Amino acid sequence: MRKLVEFLPLQVRILYRQFLLRVIDLEALSIQADIPRFLGQFASILIFISLVGAIGLLSSEAATATPETYLSFAWRGEQALIAGMMLVVGLIAVIRWDSTFPDRRDVMVLSPLPVAAHTILMAKVAASSALLGLAILTLNFATGLAWPLLIGSHHDSIWGFFQSFAAYWFTMIAASLFIYGSVLTVQGFTALLLPRRLFLRLSAILQIVAFALVLGVYFLQPSITAPAAMALPENQRGLAWLPSFWFFGLFNQLNGSLPVALGWLARRAWIGIGVVVFGATASLFLCYLRTMKKTVEEPDLVPGARGWHWTPRFGSALQTAIVLFSVRSLTRSRQHRVIFAFYLAGVLGFALSCLRDTPSTAAVSPLSTGFLVSTFMMMTLAVAGLRSVFSLPISLTANWVWRLTQLRPSEKYVDATRRSLLLLAVIPVWFISASLSLSFRPLHQVAAHLAVLAVVGWIFVELSLIGLYKVPFTCSYLPGKVHVQVMLWVFLFLLLILAMSTVEFELPSLNDPFRYICMIAILGAGALGVWTFNRHRAKSAVLYFEELPPDVITTLGLFAVRPSTTEIDMANPHQRSH
Amino acid sequence: MKVLSLGYILLNPIGGFVLELRSVYKHFSGIPAVDDVSFSARAGEVTGYLGPNGSGKSTTMKMITGLIEMTAGHILFQGKPIQDDLIAYKRRMGYVPEEPYLYNHLSGAEYLMMVAQLRDLPAKQSSERIDGLLRLLSLYDDRHASISGYSKGMRQKVLIAAALLHNPELVLLDEPFSGLDVGSALVLRSLIQELAARGKVVLFSSHELATVERVCSRVVILHKGKIVADDSIERLRSLMELPTLEAIFSQLAVEQDTKSMARQIADLIHA
Repeated sequence: MRKLVEFLPLQVRILYRQFLLRVIDLEALSIQADIPRFLGQFASILIFISLVGAIGLLSSEAATATPETYLSFAWRGEQALIAGMMLVVGLIAVIRWDSTFPDRRDVMVLSPLPVAAHTILMAKVAASSALLGLAILTLNFATGLAWPLLIGSHHDSIWGFFQSFAAYWFTMIAASLFIYGSVLTVQGFTALLLPRRLFLRLSAILQIVAFALVLGVYFLQPSITAPAAMALPENQRGLAWLPSFWFFGLFNQLNGSLPVALGWLARRAWIGIGVVVFGATASLFLCYLRTMKKTVEEPDLVPGARGWHWTPRFGSALQTAIVLFSVRSLTRSRQHRVIFAFYLAGVLGFALSCLRDTPSTAAVSPLSTGFLVSTFMMMTLAVAGLRSVFSLPISLTANWVWRLTQLRPSEKYVDATRRSLLLLAVIPVWFISASLSLSFRPLHQVAAHLAVLAVVGWIFVELSLIGLYKVPFTCSYLPGKVHVQVMLWVFLFLLLILAMSTVEFELPSLNDPFRYICMIAILGAGALGVWTFNRHRAKSAVLYFEELPPDVITTLGLFAVRPSTTEIDMANPHQRSH
Repeated sequence: MKVLSLGYILLNPIGGFVLELRSVYKHFSGIPAVDDVSFSARAGEVTGYLGPNGSGKSTTMKMITGLIEMTAGHILFQGKPIQDDLIAYKRRMGYVPEEPYLYNHLSGAEYLMMVAQLRDLPAKQSSERIDGLLRLLSLYDDRHASISGYSKGMRQKVLIAAALLHNPELVLLDEPFSGLDVGSALVLRSLIQELAARGKVVLFSSHELATVERVCSRVVILHKGKIVADDSIERLRSLMELPTLEAIFSQLAVEQDTKSMARQIADLIHA
């Protein structure tokens, strides 16, 4: 990759590095944010996923079973690998969103310098390609070898492996380009067609819609593992709208294993790639020709929304100020929105799996284990996500106003943060769960679970408030905290296992009043205990606005290295006299 | 009843508010930024706080606001150390910082409302004052626009409004004219005098010496962290036999030969 970059002109190389490092906005995160390390961690997570997948594939018995079971195994595997690749690239495209297009900051900083528009375009495309390349390479690091090995072993000659290998990598690259290019095309043409102000407003909504679409398609798309099922007219109508199946067709076409009846899927993939590559290239060029001028010409002052400005109250003046500040920061800062959307993606995923579990008939259908686990996981992810995003500052330099107006004790600020967590995470998830559970019966069972969920939400909020003596979005963020984020995901994985075993206890309790009362009493006591603990600690706490690394005592290690005087005497009795 | 300091009684025999600094030091990694600074600012007068870049003016201002802690010394308001009850002190103080750092994602009206809520002002009074200030400062039409789009002058006006919203007794102004147009600067100049006339303590730091000369009754001049002059402008003029504050300032706090320096810069870029 570095060698490739060296072929680029010097100006492009300098800008490329700047744009690549803008995966996360340095200004908002931390003065010393270690972006290369962050990219390394991102790559290592994808490599880990790839390794786990490859081990799973290689240890699968289905690979060596009968031709029928082999076909089912192969199709399921191919569909999962392609869908996974498209999900990852789709998320990257949504996170990077408009960073491939010229923004106001670039125009204002680079326009006075002797840098041509096409140089900026080249650098931006190079940065996006590098990130995309990194994702493709790392996510297929092990599966990209294991899958062709498995599939190739069913060919007659050694060339079968090479054919599968080439088909695999080509398909993955094409699927990634298709997704990334689609996002660029949609965004580019929206920017070109709409007035800039309207586009800027719409862009934020489009980003969230794209996020939901990428995840929704991934979680809801079916897995079809038999040619007969794929040929059914009702399935074909759906497949025509699912790009992952087009690329599944493309892979099999390149691999020489596509049934003739499914040739139309591969054709769709080729047409899709053609349209998207043309669309993305055209929209990028046109944007750089037109939007850069528009950006310079547009007035500095964009008028705010006219009309009625309602400011709801959320308790005392301080609580209202902090809750409104949290809501506004979360909804108006692209970076915070995107990071929170990562967690919301999980919430959406579990909500969609709840929808799958939801009974469609009016018959009596009790709550299922899957549904209960999903509601708990939604709650955990929403609270954990909001807690994480609260830790990222929005503008460190503007924090002086909080220090200067710190007129009340710290516990009042902690109370306000608690209210923000309840309002923005617990209440929405509770309502989503409530609406999803309406089709379950009996209703008293549903109500009992919703009560448990509310108490569990309160416990999560109290747990996340332990040691949080800061106003949301105001405290500086240490680069090393990325480790904490990784640990958080590990914790969530463990929590999923815990939730599954807890639900096994909850489900029978919903039909046993005594057990239920005991359970809710224990949970309530736990919540009250953590709440009391937090209140007590907050009374003597001092609000902080700068996260400082813990003091480390550095010893010179003199005692560890230097031999004792006895040793010196023993080794060389004359040493001390010198 | 608490006993007030003798200095406070001597400085303020008829009452009113007094801000007093006594032997204040601030060291950053052992390097002195503010070195044994003592002066007082009284109610009813505007005290100018002057000094070249890096002389320690803004550091002193931040210590007076409580944003940074002093290394040694005492800062007293109405004869009481501000650290004794920092919260009560902050309620009575308004501050316009040197840099217009604001939350860009909020609108001007939202920012001012947040400050009002943080200062616990009654809701009705807050909205009336905010609307009034925004109208008087010609920001009303853009009150719902994002601060990220505001010009430097508009940001400065937001800061001024935020500092005065709660009718403070002590007003600290650090380069308040920065970015303001001529009309707004004239309004602010009159406003500073009006605030002092209404019994507020006004400490005003600026590089615009002509404005300082018109507005301030007294000046404190700082050089390399130390006070080199503290008197009324009239007395300084007669003592130093110099016609203007600019001449006084140049003699006390400017070391370089300004013309020769300008020549050197021009020569350097020409070479």
